[in-house]
Amino acid sequence: MGDPFDLAAGWLQEHLLIPLLYWAGLMEWEDVSYGWALFAVYGACQVAITFAVCLPLERWRPVERWPDAQAVWVDVLYTVISRVGILPLFTFVLFYRAQVALNGFLTDHGWVPPTLERLLPFLLGAPVLTFVAYAIILDCADYWRHRLSHMVRWWWALHSLHHAQRQMTFWSDDRNHVLDDLISALWFGVIALAIGVPPLQFPLLVLVLRFLESLSHANARVSFGWLGERLLISPRFHRAHHGLLAAGQRSCNYGAVLPWWDMLFGTADFSRAYVATGDPSGEEALATGSYLRQQWAGLRRFAATFAGPVRRRT
Amino acid sequence: MRLHRAVLYLLPLLALGAKLAAASGLAFVVNSGGASISLIDMSSEKEMHRIPVLREPHHVALTPDGKSLLVGDTVGNEMLFLDPSTGAVQKRMPVADPYQLGFSPNGRFLVVNGLARNQVDVYDAASMQLLKRFPIASMPSHLDYAPDSSRVFVSLQGTDSMVAIDLTKMAVLWKEKVGKTPAGVLWHDGKVLVADMGTDYVAVVDPADGHVINRIHTGKGAHNLFVSPDRKIIWVNNRVGGTTTSLDATTLTPIRTYTIPGGPDDIAFAPDGRLWITRRFAEKVAVLDPKTGDYQTIDVGRSPHGLFLNPKGSAEPSVAVR
Repeated sequence: MGDPFDLAAGWLQEHLLIPLLYWAGLMEWEDVSYGWALFAVYGACQVAITFAVCLPLERWRPVERWPDAQAVWVDVLYTVISRVGILPLFTFVLFYRAQVALNGFLTDHGWVPPTLERLLPFLLGAPVLTFVAYAIILDCADYWRHRLSHMVRWWWALHSLHHAQRQMTFWSDDRNHVLDDLISALWFGVIALAIGVPPLQFPLLVLVLRFLESLSHANARVSFGWLGERLLISPRFHRAHHGLLAAGQRSCNYGAVLPWWDMLFGTADFSRAYVATGDPSGEEALATGSYLRQQWAGLRRFAATFAGPVRRRT
Repeated sequence: MRLHRAVLYLLPLLALGAKLAAASGLAFVVNSGGASISLIDMSSEKEMHRIPVLREPHHVALTPDGKSLLVGDTVGNEMLFLDPSTGAVQKRMPVADPYQLGFSPNGRFLVVNGLARNQVDVYDAASMQLLKRFPIASMPSHLDYAPDSSRVFVSLQGTDSMVAIDLTKMAVLWKEKVGKTPAGVLWHDGKVLVADMGTDYVAVVDPADGHVINRIHTGKGAHNLFVSPDRKIIWVNNRVGGTTTSLDATTLTPIRTYTIPGGPDDIAFAPDGRLWITRRFAEKVAVLDPKTGDYQTIDVGRSPHGLFLNPKGSAEPSVAVR
């Protein structure tokens, strides 16, 4: 009996994607589309598991109670678009050829893109260890991507959409401007060229990491204790990053899964507990607008940075 | 009493002997999505071990001297050399995007298609030195040679064309339209057969100029094709239809169509007359009895693709335990 996730992806591939590609005359993509099917299946499971765990937590120990949680529904839409593969498919189509061309160019010039396993041969055949090594490096890279997205003026204009949510819940993890998501894809594409990121070799572990990222946004009074907070990022720790005083250039707690980078680079703040969230400098549409209104407002804010100084809380 | 005790002592050895005797034949199944190669005991039809691979292995080729089985890891940019008798890793070599690969009949060339990078690399098989790179758009996927090793024919999956390369002059002979999404290639009886994944037929192509002489309808998404060891039957896997079609090798007329769901892809022929077929979306290999149409299944890794059977091989003891 095979892996149930894989078999579900196989079923999706055989009964939906392949007939669709055949009908559309795009059969040359049938091989790579399996990766997307896997991504979609694991993404749907991520959403289901996160929902099953985080919703009871939010009901049990909420930080805030809102009379009207309408703004949360847009975040649900962001999550579905991002995790069941619509956005990854878009970025794949956009970047695949560019990445292959760049990869080919480098190889032609005698530089075969390295992998961690080639640098550290003992990792080959030790999948969990390999994954942990990649996860640590990628988490560090994400820390710097995130920190730069606060520091660089035009980037913050896009990223502020993520911070605009005043009703932050576990759904808020994927609330991003599409341009911000594209920059992330590019960022990790470059890193993949440097260390080789295993795309779907460890989907279960990726599922766990994405779950932790969602959990860190939960509207729940959950702390991992003094030691636990220094090992893994908790809802309490990450909420400080989304606090009203932390929106903008001088924020804190930028990490996604591990708090180590914040501790190492002096941006950790363990003192703030369960603060109110949001970005006072952003326009209302970023917080409570529809998906399209939020995207449009983010784009205008982004464009405005090239015309003049953007209002930013420091 | 002593005899009884002696038998007791000997039992484990007898059991071990029986196990070793049964473990005849080694199958290699390349799990493209699982970054591994499954080693299967052909007698028990059970997976014994998985060899870890960097990223995304696809196809295999046996060296002309039979001493190494090459496995191309496309995303890992690596070629693995395995002992075809035991599965032991002999060496790993950096190679750019090795997708489909094959040695020329005279053993002089190794052609490696880089599907993602739009390149066809011709290597000197003995030294593994790159002789020439042909940048050819787009998605060069499958290949086969003329019997005299003078030409190699490569399907261009991203286009509607196939390309013929002259290996003596190291130059492109022609590039012609042969179908919607050309995939599997097979030299047969002075012609080149090309499976068209975008439609439901196998195109019969004139190797001299690339024009299509005939089209043989097999099934939706005709993907790959193989000739039986006795050269009497050509087997075609139809990816979209989930079927395998047998063609009379002389007349190219369909004989029978078998239902093999789960994305049938590569085929290898076992000495007992059965066909081993990888099923890409089912994490399984089907072992088809062509007489009855029944098939057994063997569990393997994610997205099984290339496969190789060595009826004389057996996994070395050090890797035989999972």
